[in-house]
Order: sequence, then structure tokens, then C-alpha cells
Amino acid sequence: MTDHADHAAESPAAGTVAPPRGLAPGTLAARHPVALGTLLALGAVNVAPLVIDTYSVNVLVRSFLYAAVALTVDLLWGYTGILTFGQSAFFGIGAYALGLAFTHIGLTPAVAVLALAGAVVVAAAVAALTGWLAFGYGVSPIYVSVVTLVLPIVATQLVFSGGTFTGSSSGLSGFDTFELDLEDWFRLAGCGLVLATAAAWLFVRSDAGRVLVAIRENEQRCTYLGLRTARIKIALMIACGIVAAIAGYGYAAYTDVVAPELTGFVFGTELVIWVALGGRGTLLGPVVGTILIDLTSAYLSGSLPFIWQLLLGVAFVLVIVALPRGLLPVLAAGGRRFAGAAAGTRAAVLPNLVPLVPTPTAAPADAGASATPALRLRGVTRRYGSLQVLHDISFTAHAGELLSIVGPNGAGKSSLMRCIADGHERTGGTVDIAGHPIGRRNPEACVAFGVGRKFQAASVFDTLTVAECLRLARMRHEPPSLWRRAKTLRLPVSALQVAQATGLLEHSGEEARHLSHGLKQALELAMVLALEPTVLLLDEPTAGLTRPERQTIGTILSALTRDSGMCVLLVEHDLDFVREISSRVVVLHQGKLALDGTVAEVVGSDLVRTIYSGETHALGDAHG
Amino acid sequence: MQAQILDIATSAAMLYAVAAGLLVIFGVMKIINFAHGAFLTLGGYCALLTTWAGISPWLAFPVAAIVGFIIGALVERFIVRPLYQRPLDAILATWGLGIILGQVITLIFGREVQFVQSPVQGTALVLDTDYSLYRLLLVPGAILVGVALAALLHGTRLGLAARAVIMNEALARGLGIDSDRVRSLTFGLGSALAALAGALITPLSSVDPAMGVPWLVNAFMLVMVAGRSLISLMVATVVLGGAQVLVSSYASPVLGGLTIAVLAAIILRIRPQGFARD
Amino acid sequence: MRYPMLAAGAVMVALGTAGPLPAQAADPIRIGVPVGLSGANSVVAPSVVQSAQLAIDEINAKGGVLGRSLELAVADDASGAAGAQKAFDSLIFQKKVDVLISMETSAARNAGLPIVGRGKVPYIYTSFYEGHSCSPYLYVDAWVPDQQVAPIVDYFQKEKGAKTFFLIGSDYAFGRGMLDFTREYIKKQGGQIVGEEYQPMDASDWTPVISKIRATNPDALVTSTAGGAPNVTLTKQLRAAGIKALYGNLAVDEGTAKNLGADAAGIVISASYLTSIDSPTNHAFAAALDKKFGSDLKTPNDLSVPEYEAVYLYAAALEKAGSTKADAVLAALPTVSVDGPRGSIRMDKQHHAPLTMYLGEVQGDGSVKVLKSFKDVDPGAQCPTLK
Repeated sequence: MTDHADHAAESPAAGTVAPPRGLAPGTLAARHPVALGTLLALGAVNVAPLVIDTYSVNVLVRSFLYAAVALTVDLLWGYTGILTFGQSAFFGIGAYALGLAFTHIGLTPAVAVLALAGAVVVAAAVAALTGWLAFGYGVSPIYVSVVTLVLPIVATQLVFSGGTFTGSSSGLSGFDTFELDLEDWFRLAGCGLVLATAAAWLFVRSDAGRVLVAIRENEQRCTYLGLRTARIKIALMIACGIVAAIAGYGYAAYTDVVAPELTGFVFGTELVIWVALGGRGTLLGPVVGTILIDLTSAYLSGSLPFIWQLLLGVAFVLVIVALPRGLLPVLAAGGRRFAGAAAGTRAAVLPNLVPLVPTPTAAPADAGASATPALRLRGVTRRYGSLQVLHDISFTAHAGELLSIVGPNGAGKSSLMRCIADGHERTGGTVDIAGHPIGRRNPEACVAFGVGRKFQAASVFDTLTVAECLRLARMRHEPPSLWRRAKTLRLPVSALQVAQATGLLEHSGEEARHLSHGLKQALELAMVLALEPTVLLLDEPTAGLTRPERQTIGTILSALTRDSGMCVLLVEHDLDFVREISSRVVVLHQGKLALDGTVAEVVGSDLVRTIYSGETHALGDAHG
Repeated sequence: MQAQILDIATSAAMLYAVAAGLLVIFGVMKIINFAHGAFLTLGGYCALLTTWAGISPWLAFPVAAIVGFIIGALVERFIVRPLYQRPLDAILATWGLGIILGQVITLIFGREVQFVQSPVQGTALVLDTDYSLYRLLLVPGAILVGVALAALLHGTRLGLAARAVIMNEALARGLGIDSDRVRSLTFGLGSALAALAGALITPLSSVDPAMGVPWLVNAFMLVMVAGRSLISLMVATVVLGGAQVLVSSYASPVLGGLTIAVLAAIILRIRPQGFARD
Repeated sequence: MRYPMLAAGAVMVALGTAGPLPAQAADPIRIGVPVGLSGANSVVAPSVVQSAQLAIDEINAKGGVLGRSLELAVADDASGAAGAQKAFDSLIFQKKVDVLISMETSAARNAGLPIVGRGKVPYIYTSFYEGHSCSPYLYVDAWVPDQQVAPIVDYFQKEKGAKTFFLIGSDYAFGRGMLDFTREYIKKQGGQIVGEEYQPMDASDWTPVISKIRATNPDALVTSTAGGAPNVTLTKQLRAAGIKALYGNLAVDEGTAKNLGADAAGIVISASYLTSIDSPTNHAFAAALDKKFGSDLKTPNDLSVPEYEAVYLYAAALEKAGSTKADAVLAALPTVSVDGPRGSIRMDKQHHAPLTMYLGEVQGDGSVKVLKSFKDVDPGAQCPTLK
């Protein structure tokens, strides 16, 4: 154990932090750029109403509130990939909470507070319901857009059906509201927007924030890292719904009017347009974009209403088709400098990789291994309609075993892997992981029981760095910070070993999409090992690797099973590789378990030779 | 009761006509055309033009279909084609296109609500009920659209090519089918159907630059539920359109307005493939 | 045959004349007109803009007011609350108008009033409405239900023998307010309400409502939708469905009725203005409109004529107050009167005006046959807290 740790410490990339370029160390800007930016923006917001004209102040209050909602659309769509048309509904919930309370009860401090609390609670409940509907297992990805489209329609129709209670088409207006000067409204809305933006900025750059990008990039990998993506997305939806509702509450308080248009589908799409034009996935882009567009609209809608809308429409289509990153990032700094600055900040926060000191519970190499098998399959079947790809598969595997599964193409090897890692996959039979039946549980739950699955084609997060990918793999064990980046990343020795032996460590600041094919495979393997699985499922981990790389992986796998008592299931085509490292081999043929024995037994059997030479009728004989 | 049966039949017919174009595009191209509403509007204004020109209101239908086809095919070439690999962006780009069409229409025709001449007036006595003749005529009209589409898909070379592209585009290309052309024609066809539907529904109500938007949402929901089949679209329009009529009559017209959207959301949650067989 | 491009052009010119320059002594006096150029009101809005333009041109031709000319600033309120907010904001704070004079939906008026309060400008509302909208800044020169509903209901009950009524409205302050009044009035008169249905302001499909009318088979319908588009869609669909009941419409103006063609025949309306009013001022007004707008002319109606008169009322109040200061103008407004196409108008009853009302029946050619007239009907107690 200790020499692994030493290796890690000696490795040049693991121990050093690249000094940030362009920023002098020690200055406020270097240490707290977000704090500085926030302070400057707060200052500007407080001074601005003294210098700009009343009409602009008037409009900007509204723009700020819209921008806060646009921020939530950017978090959902730009970062997480959830295309939502429904944030207007949450805005409407906030606005109507205030409008209804002040109209029907009246303005008192208690009512104001209760209305805000009500807005938050209702928005959270609606967001949770929407998320529950949209992010269920097996629900198609477009469905979230369907649900978020239905949401504002339902909200609007409910307002319409409210008769005089909600004011229907008229909305509610003229209720008593807070007595504040226009300038104070401006400062209040402005400060709120600045703080919300700063919080969102910290969050998306924190360790937890990387999860959003990971979900957008590759949600399947996330679930197989044990991340409960549905819950994460629902939580995000709730947070975003609450922020939008608070903005709506502010809007109603400021304008003294709530109208059905505020909850509507058209407003929902406008928000998406502003975010797209501002630059999705940049936070500042959507905020600045929304403010600029809304302010310009207010000035131009009097004299050039249609031309202005037409220009917006044309710009929107152009951006979507040709400049998916949006106008502002392009206009602001020129594409390259912007990207360079972003890469710089990423490099600056490269964490120290340190080996995880094994805890007593982590790897009971011999204790308990004999008691319950690490993996037990009983009568597993899998059908696709009338096609049956797995017939009644039963076997057990124990800790410390390296079990290879071989068979020709279409034998059902990959299907079998899926059935072990996802409770929804199999049609019949049972799968127990370390004594826990997986039932109909999701992959996340199977990971929690100890399954680690590596896919056949390397499945990583393209736009995240190697270090970020590895951190995601550790999140199940070490909950990430919501607002900052940890300076160290603790990895199990095995993961570190893979990273080191394959040369992955030298690339830890690089985005995964720039890695070579072999390094991607190594990265995924390291990520899966970082989960500390008890049952490791490897689907052709060495496909496309060079001979030395394969050798290295083989050595590591042998060591893993021997030293840390992992149970490894390996799907492999390369029989030589299988022979070198396996402790047992299972042969699948046409979805049936044809043979289960030691390497010597299997390699020597006539059956295997027959199968691989294509004479299939021999199987029936062997079985009978 | 009889009147309700007629309401259901005519509402379903209207919804079928409106959703068919969206379904054709979604079926072949796997793209949701959010400019569909704008194409409906376009059809409405084509009807307005025939009213202004003082020619027979029946001519509104072919005019709308031709205009829709031409603009649709152009749009496919310049806006939709780069987006086949980005279906969510295609939704957004076509929505943006809808805004552009709407504003151009506003610049030409003005933003006010306007009215078109109806090709037929008066009522007919059906099932003991005096019922709007024009609404009744929508039923054979929608059936005609459905039959013509089915004939096009199953009886022509274009239909064969389109079905090949639906099943396996790479293979279709390998067989020498020009899938770009198929897509262009399909998008044109879908847009033509949308414009035709717009011309069909306007005599019942009015024309304004935003008239297509509420229809777009319902058409989108119906297509999501129907999947890719003209038959399941018919089932969907009768079931969901029928539910809308019943909720409107027995609960409230306002709740009726959200029936289709809510039912579609529920159906798709329980059965993601909707009414399609698989 | 109509020429919308020219009409749109006229509106654009009108919009273009308003510039956001700081006020100077010789600067024109700006009159803000937020109006529904899009949405439900868009059918009648152009006629309202024409009326305002005519009044302003006539006054300017005679040398303006207080030595200054009048200037029109139009903004689209999209016939609703959200649009009205933007329109009022823009007119009051960007264009810095001296007064707002407009026909709008009640939704737009209600949404605009808080902004009027913040900007402290006089606001003359020129659309008939549901009544009881009270603000120190608000004056109204059009009718309220107390003046309008009784003639129609009385006519149906007493002369046509109607016993059962079905009420249909757009679901907003005006529709609800009018029908609340109508329902109570019908009940008081011993009639029976067999149905009451509301649809959102922008609804264009009335199928479910018509289905309920069929089921209840009432003697008479009384409708109160948003002015403009909903009237047309509802009437067309009622006619297409073959509904034969008596049809009283509380919100259709003569211009919209013309639009409807033969479908409008038989609709009973109650209005303070009809083109057929036989008075010298009305003839002069019609001739001036005709001369100014020629073939682009929109039929003047019960929504556009009050706009015309309100501009004159404002001008008279300016003369009396001697300045454009809001306090002075507001004090002067109830004391002045003008002799307009509808007769003599003075907004001296709790910020509302007594009006001569006409009960009429729309004919097949869109003209209105006057059945009865009622002189100087009092608006009743609209705003007891205001003088």
C-alpha cells in the first residue's frame, strides 16, 4: 500500500498546482475575483439611478427581475441541458401570490411575508411535481419540454378560470403595495440580481456545479457513477423555481399589476430567446443580454415595434443555427480570448491528487468473502419483445475472483452486464449484489450496492477535465461543496495507479474530449475504480489499446482482485488476455450459459473451440 | 347530446387538419417544427387575401397550400438543414422562424384582428340539430387530408423514399435515395398542410398575427401522443379532442382549454410512446 | 375592399410625430393615447386614433390651446394589462405626455391607473365600461351599465316577451361587471337567468358556449365581450350555429357591426352614439372625418366619438385652468362642457357624464335603426368618494 502512495506523491502532475497566469498572486482580484466583481456591480447598481433618466430606471427594474429568471433558465438549459419553456409559470406563481394576497387580504407586513413564503412553497411544490413527472426512469428526454410547455398553459388557464378571484383576463391591479421610491426599487432589484448572479456563478464553478455539466454531457455515465441525477435535476428545478417565483413576487410588488401574460408560454419562450442570444451556459451572457434586450425593446417598441421584433427573431435564428454559444460571448471579447481566459481559470484550480487511506470497511479481502457471494444471478432472462437474448442465466462470483465472460458476438454478454447494473433491464430472475437483491432499482442504487460498470465505448464527460471527471466519480463518497472547489482530490490507490501507469496524470487539467482513445479508456476505468466497487463490470476495457497499455491494465486488474478483494467481471474477446488474468471463465452462447469453469477447463474444452469455429449445433449436445 | 357528438366530430376534424402537417415533418425528419403555428397564420392570411381580392373563398385552400409549400421548402434548405443533429435547437430555430414570419405578416397586413369570408354560410339539419354547415364540412375535409396523405406515402415514389428515410436513412442513401430532397419535400408538404389548416379554420374565427400559437401547442401535444402514424393521430384527435369538448361543456370552457395539454402530459408519462403501437 | 397598408401607414405617421424631447415653453402639449392596436380592441382602435387625430388637427388649425399646439402620441397596449403597463410607462415617463385620453379595455385601464397615479397626469377614459373605477386622476365621458343596460332588457321583456336570458361575457372586469349589473337587473324585473358563461378575452372559439345555449334554449342572449374581435367571432359562430334567440349586445359598436355584414342583422344595442344622430355637430363631424381620411375612414362609433369629444374637453379645461399643470386641469375638467356629435357632454357626476342613450337594432346593411332614445341618462353613484 505505502509504495502506491509514494508513487502518487512523486508524480509531477499529482503534487503541483499550476500557478494561474495573468493574475498577480496576492491581489484581491486574484484571490477573490467573484467578490470583487460582485462589489463593483453592487456599487454600480447603487450609483446608477442617480445618473440615468427616470424612464430607463423604470424599465431597468423590470429588466433586472426578468434577468434573474433568465439566470434560472441558463442554469437549467445552458448548464444542465434541460430545455424549459416553463420558468414563466414560476414567475407567475410569485406574482399572483402577492397580487392575490394584497388584493383579497390587504397589505400588512405579516401578509407580505406569508405571501412570499406561500410563493416559495407553491413554486417548490410545482417544481418538484414537474421534475418528478419529467425525470422519471425511461421517460424520453423531449418529455421535459412537453411538461414545461404544459406548465405555463395550465397556469394561465387556472388564472383564467379564477373569475373575479384572479381577475381572469384583466389580472389584478391597483392593490396597495410597498411604498418605495423608484430609485430604491432599482437598488433593491439590482442588488438582488447581482447577488443571485454571484451565487449562481460560485455554484456553477464549484465542485457540485460540475455535476450539472456532467448531466448535460453524459447523464448515463452520471447514473453509473451512483449520482442520482433525477434528484439532482429536481433539486435544481426547485431552486430555480423558487428564484423565479421571488422575482415574480418582486415584479408584482413593483408594478402593482399581475396579468395572465406573466405566467404564459410566450413569456417562457422569450426567456429562452434572451438566454440564447446572451450566450447559454455563461450566466453573465444571459443576464446582460436580457437587460439589454428588454431595455432596447422598451425604447424601440414605441417607434419600431415590428422591425425590432423582426430583428430579434432573425438574430435568434442566426444564433441557434450558426452561433450556438450566443452573441455576447462573441461580441464581448472575440471567441479565442474568451475561451483562453476560461481555460486559464480552470487550470488554476487543478487539485492535488492524494491517495485515499483505506478504511477498515473499504476492502475486506478475506473476511466475509466466503459468507455471501459478491454477485449471485438466479435464472436471469432478458427479452426484447419476442426476441430472447438471455435464457435462465445463473452463477455466482466471489470477492477476489476475476471472472471472464466470453462468447461470440450476439451471445448476450453486454446484455448480461446491463442486467447486473440496472434493475430495470432483466425480464426475469434475480440478481444479488453482496447479498442485496437489486430488484427493479435504478443504476444509481446498484452502484450503491457496490456495482461499478465500465462501458464498452469509453464513456466520459467530454468538456470536463480529467481531474473533474475523477472528482465526479468520488462524489458518492465525498459530497461536493456547493460554492467552492476542493484543493485536494482523494482517490483510491487503485484508481490512482491506473491513472499513473497509463500516463493519465500528466493530462489531469485537460478536457476529456482531447484525450487519446486509450487515455479515455483509462480515464473511465479510473473513474469506475474511484467508486470503490465490490463488483466491477468491465466491458472490453482493452479494446483499441496498445499492447503495453493492455499489459498494464491486466496487471492492475490482477492486483485489484488479489489485494483488495474486488470481484471483477470481464467481457473480453481477446482470449489470450483472458487466459492471462482470469481466475474463472463463463462461456455464453446464444444467450445461454454454455460453460463455467477454470481457465484451463474452458480453454481446453471442445465446446469453446466449436463455438468459436461457428458450429453451433454442438451446443445443444453439450447442454443435453 | 347530438350536438355534442357533432362538436366532438368537428373539433377532432379541425385538430386533425391542424396536427397532420406537424406529424408529417416529425415522422420523417424527427424534428418538431415550432414554426407550425406561423404557417397556420400564413394560411389564415392567404384566406384574407382571397377575401380582399374578391375571388371565391374556396381558392383560399390551394393558395394557402402552395404558399406554405414554397416557403416551407425554402426554410428547410436554409434553417432546418444544419440542425438535424441538434433536435432541441431545431425546436428553437423554428420557433424563431415563427417569430420572423409573424412580424413580416404584421408589417404587411397590420397587427389588428381581421376576418375572412366563409366559403359556405348557414346551417344544416343533422342528427336533429341545426348545425354550422362549414364546421360539418370540416369532417370530410379532414378525412380527405388523411386519405390523401396515406395515398401519398404508400402509393408514390416520394412516399416510398420518405418511408425508406424513416426506417433507415443510411441504407436509403446507399440505395441512391436523395434524402436531402426527401426532407425538403417533406418539410414543404408539412408546411403546406399547416397553411391549408390555417385557411380551413379562419372562416370560423378571425385572423391575427398570433392566431397560430394556441393551435401549435395542441398540435404539438397531439403529435407527441400520436407518434408517427396517421391512424394514431386520428385516435388521438378523437380521444383528446372529445375530452376537450366534454370538459368544456360539463365543467368549463376554460378548463377545456387545458384538457389536451394535460391529458397528453399524463399519457406520455405513463406510456412514453403514446398511442403509437411501439 | 380595404387598404390596410395605408391605414398602418397612417398609424406609423402618427407614432412618428411624438418625440421624447424635453419640454419647453413653446413645445406642443402632448396627448398620450394608449390603445389596443393589437389584440381584441384592434378592430376598433384605428377609428379611435382617427378621432383623436381629427380633434387635434381641428384645434391646432384654430391656433391650438394656450398658444401651444397639441401633439398626438399613440402607444399599443395590446388590449391587455401587461401591454398597458409598458404603454403607460412609455407615454408618461419616456414621452412625458401632459394627459392621457384613451379608449381601452378595462384590463388595460386598471393596469395603467397605478402608473397614472405615480406620474400624476390627468387621464380621460373614453370607453364605455363596467363602472365604479375611481381615481382623482380619472375622468370618464362614456356610459356605464346604469345608463345602458335597462333599455335593452326592458325592450326584450316588455316588447318581445322574453322570460329566460343567457349571459355571455369576456372574462375580465368589463365583461363580469356589465353582466353582474345585467343579472341583478333582470332578476329585479322578474326575468330568469338560465346560463352565464365567460371566456378569456382572446378566446375565438365559442363552441362550448354555443352548445350550452342550445341545451338551455333561452328567449334572449345578452353579451358583453371585449369590444372588437370577440364580438365578431361570437356573432359569426352564433349565426353559423343557427341560434335564433333575441340577441342584445352590450359591447358592439357600429363600426364592428358593419364589419359583420349580414350576420349583425337583428342585434339590439344601446349606445350613446350612432352615425344616424341628426344634429349639425354630428353632420359636421362626419364631413370632417370624411375629408381627412377619405377611403381610409373607419366608421365612427360609440368608442371613437367619446375620444374626439374628450380631446375637446381637455382643451376646454386647459383654457379654463390656464396651464397644463395636473392639479389645475383636474379641477377644471368637471366644470367644462363641449357640444359634440353626441350632444352636450360634461363630466360633472362623480367624474362621469350624463348621456343621451339610444336603443337601436342593427340592420342587414350594418346601419342601426333607432328604436327609442332616452335623454340625459344619469350615470348614478359611480364614485361617491369623489365629488
